[in-house]
Amino acid sequence: MILLEQNNQIISEILEQKFSNVKEGGQPDKVNVNFCDFDGVYYLLSNPNGDKSKIRLSIALKFFKELQQHGADTLLQREYGSLLVTPEPQFNVTLEFDLNAIPNDYSEILRKASMLKRNCFASVFEKYFEFQEAGQEGQKRAVINYREDETMYIEAKPDRVTVIFSTLFKDPDDVIIGKVFLQEFREGRKASQTAPSVLYSLGEPPMELRDQPGARVGDNVGYITFILFPRHTNKKTRDNTIDLIHTFRDYLHYHIKCSKGYLHSRMRAKTSDFLKVLNRARPEVKMEKKTFSGRTFLAS
Amino acid sequence: MSATLAPYLDAVKSTLQAALCLEQFSSQVVERHDKPEVEVQTSKELLMTPVVVARNKLERVLIEPSVNSVRISLAIKQSDDIERILAHKFTRFMCQRADNFVILRRKPIEGYDISFLITNVHTSSMYKHKLVDFLIHFMQEIDKEISDMKLALNARARVSAEEFLKRFN
Repeated sequence: MILLEQNNQIISEILEQKFSNVKEGGQPDKVNVNFCDFDGVYYLLSNPNGDKSKIRLSIALKFFKELQQHGADTLLQREYGSLLVTPEPQFNVTLEFDLNAIPNDYSEILRKASMLKRNCFASVFEKYFEFQEAGQEGQKRAVINYREDETMYIEAKPDRVTVIFSTLFKDPDDVIIGKVFLQEFREGRKASQTAPSVLYSLGEPPMELRDQPGARVGDNVGYITFILFPRHTNKKTRDNTIDLIHTFRDYLHYHIKCSKGYLHSRMRAKTSDFLKVLNRARPEVKMEKKTFSGRTFLAS
Repeated sequence: MSATLAPYLDAVKSTLQAALCLEQFSSQVVERHDKPEVEVQTSKELLMTPVVVARNKLERVLIEPSVNSVRISLAIKQSDDIERILAHKFTRFMCQRADNFVILRRKPIEGYDISFLITNVHTSSMYKHKLVDFLIHFMQEIDKEISDMKLALNARARVSAEEFLKRFN
């Protein structure tokens, strides 16, 4: 599995099971599931006031207020329409499914529901892609603190949209391994002509962010800049671009962790190999084994 | 094997063979104790002159013989940041398993990455020439393993970056 999924597998699995159960004539049962996703996102699947014929899916994002400033509400309204209800306390968005009114082909609803987090993110990208398309310049840069200590900046120019991620490497070794990965991302354009160009800087913010207050500086901070050209931001390819770019941070860290795991398993194998060689230095002990009655036991 | 590696390993091998002439020796300080003299360093006359065999500035071996024990310390080649963290991780990983590696010292000597301590107990219970073979094998393999791991890391980074960027159209 090289690429991460954009949707949430838990949502689609649970809802699929519940929906198909009702469609086959089964009685709806109780749901109460708490789970989380990347970027500190929490979900809750429950029945409103114990009414088993309805299922509620709520999502809590720490940075939802920032997304709202960029029109998250309109986008969610467009995507989910009548499914949206007033958010439950401590959550930002709530969808409600009436099990008695599920259409026969519910795959579309499932897909949309599992993309809830992605759609929350999408608004800010779409807004700036629109700016670029309309050729508007001088729009304020969007700042989304998508994790504690990690921030995403989006800026539109008439000919491109720049997306800058700041990311924090918790382990000093991750900084070095991360650098290897980022170097390859920068070179990646050679492999695919259609890819956006990627730049990175470690330790201090890139030129564009010099005047940005609150841009973090430090040895373990990395900045990754994606320059998206009109070919990525036009109406046809836009959804694909959003799918990819909003998971970039998770993708990078996922692969850093995976490579560390791989190196660890290699070391384990090599160490046991060394141990084998060392044990060759021990002379084989020749011991006469005897049975209980005193007869010599001969191993054939 | 490169041109300088063979003579380097040969020199280490001969030095080790000479150094591994150990005998049982009771402590001169504490009654009825038997300690590795190279570690306690209580008396100068029980220690032999330490030898450093160096291939270059980064790769070297320090061999400290004494009457009943030999301490061998290795410095592993670390030419960049990645090799440094890999060597560090690997040696730490092995030191945590020092109980299994009877001759491995739990902590390396300062300035070196990994240390071994061979006492007369080890030489009497194990074949001496096989011990030397192990150390030589270790020196050969660790360099190879670290450069292999580095290549694997780079390859993985390249594949993951390309796969991600290929998806943009």
